Amino acid sequence: MSAAAITWKQQKVSTLIGILSIVLVMVALVALSIGQVTIPLKDIVLMVFYKVGLTAQQPDAVFETVLWSIRLPRIVMTILIGAALAVSGAALQGLFRNPLVEPGLIGVSSGAALAVVTLVVFGSFLFAGSALGMSLVMPVAAFAGGFAATMLVMKIGQQLGKTNIAVLILGGVAINAMAGALMGLVIFYADENQLRTFTFWTLGDLGGATWQKVLITAPVLILSSVWMLTYQFSLNAIAIGEAEAFHMGVDVERVKKSIVFFSALAVGVSVSLAGIIGFIGLVVPHLVRVIFRADNRLVLPASLLGGPILLLLADLLARTLVAPTELPIGVVTALIGAPFFIFLLVRANHKNEFTR
Amino acid sequence: MIEAKHIGLSINGKTLLNGVNLSVQPGTFTAIAGPNGAGKSSLLKILSHELTNYKGEVRINDVAATAYSVAQLSAVRAVLPQHSQVQFPFSVRQIVEMGRQHFKRTTKHNQELLDEVMELTGVADWANRNYLTLSGGEQQRVQLTRVLAQVWDEKTFARYVLLDEPTSSLDIAQQQLIFSLVKKACERNIGVLAIVHDLNQAVQFADQLYFMRNGAVVAQGESKTVFTKPIIEETFCCRVNVYHDPCTNCPYIVPERTTLSTLKTASV
Repeated sequence: MSAAAITWKQQKVSTLIGILSIVLVMVALVALSIGQVTIPLKDIVLMVFYKVGLTAQQPDAVFETVLWSIRLPRIVMTILIGAALAVSGAALQGLFRNPLVEPGLIGVSSGAALAVVTLVVFGSFLFAGSALGMSLVMPVAAFAGGFAATMLVMKIGQQLGKTNIAVLILGGVAINAMAGALMGLVIFYADENQLRTFTFWTLGDLGGATWQKVLITAPVLILSSVWMLTYQFSLNAIAIGEAEAFHMGVDVERVKKSIVFFSALAVGVSVSLAGIIGFIGLVVPHLVRVIFRADNRLVLPASLLGGPILLLLADLLARTLVAPTELPIGVVTALIGAPFFIFLLVRANHKNEFTR
Repeated sequence: MIEAKHIGLSINGKTLLNGVNLSVQPGTFTAIAGPNGAGKSSLLKILSHELTNYKGEVRINDVAATAYSVAQLSAVRAVLPQHSQVQFPFSVRQIVEMGRQHFKRTTKHNQELLDEVMELTGVADWANRNYLTLSGGEQQRVQLTRVLAQVWDEKTFARYVLLDEPTSSLDIAQQQLIFSLVKKACERNIGVLAIVHDLNQAVQFADQLYFMRNGAVVAQGESKTVFTKPIIEETFCCRVNVYHDPCTNCPYIVPERTTLSTLKTASV
């Protein structure tokens, strides 16, 4: 290991979080600036000043529309979703004591997507085209679907009152396959127009961001992401073992229920906004562990910042690589994430890190 | 004092424990010995309140164990299970720290206490090493350090340490070291209960000794008085000879050759 890596590993939590925060702000500014219309940084600063009333100088009208109505809500949504996915992934990996778990693997994402797709295809008469009604009901349905699927997977994984990880993950595979098949069935009954939204749900799309959607879901995403951060101590204890954590004073069952609930909430709502975005929940906590250390007092908050950084970069690629059209964000994250996942598995073979 | 009265446990219709009485006094080392499947580990899990579906009563410091919250329990007793499987690359110090993270004490006090315990168990030198790269014996010592750190603070009430075969994967020097450490803990108003497989070690270190077989206590009492040929033979269904070692002033046993048939006939 290089000297640099060792110094990284010994930095204080506050230092690392500070650095990550600065990186996040810089990446967000770059993401705001780059796109079909490139907006110079000085115009972004000018517009911020104008909006808060520090200057009377009118910003460029085109820049203002692009920035304020299109790019900013998208960036904010990307940050919220990236944080929600990465923290959920980190918390679930800690909870199940398995670094290969991600929200998608235990059914949250596909359950949520199934619920949303069903709602879109069969439930449109409920709101009679009311966009507000739709954007209120969608997150609720997504959460319910995600939560139900996760509970089912948890139930399958329960043996003699304990969670059997191998069975749990196999159960997740089964539930995912089931949800995928049901989604296909629902799509079968969809009309032309709804059909086009299928890619949206299964591969993700951050392009549909509006201030309305962001404002409705932001409180839920922020609350559930931040709430999961409070379990960093308990998750550290659980890393040694569930029984050991109990001996050390952790109410393991309560922690389990809360984390499953809040991750289903966070991921479900994310899916309702942007469809299934894979691999962020898996890769980000891993990167933090590989680059820094496994202590959950760092992994959780660092994932909260690392998730948005990675998702912003992936989104930047998605909307610039094939401009003027866009790649589905899930394609980009999977293209980066899948090889990384394989790398982890191969490395694990050598180091025997994940066996049992 | 931890006091267990008339403990019974059956799982899926199979009786694992029946009418077990046991007590652990603060400041003493109590050992449980017995053949595999005698119910020792189950008893330990009941005492630590990990298993709750038992019959009978467990009282810790004269309060029913059921009246404690999970957090309160962690302040009076620490447990070392047989095997701990850590999945993530934590450093040794992080593992030991976890034993203390639920205590609302000043960080400085916590750090000093951690340093003290780690120095005592000899793991201080590895503080920054990756736990996963340690040998089995070293890992066991780190886990023991974590357990001791949890109850090391001087308190107005007695604390307890429950150990399930703490030396199972250690060489003899390490084993002796662990038991000496455990004896040191006793001086801090800590009561120790350990499941011990090596009878010679049990009698050398324990103040009180319980022999268990088929979910019941066969014999109990001061170590040197119950450590007799008939009791050990009855417990383990194995012919043994008991001698006296003048150097340590302790009795010790040498088992005779055992065949499968003697085990079977004896257990009927």
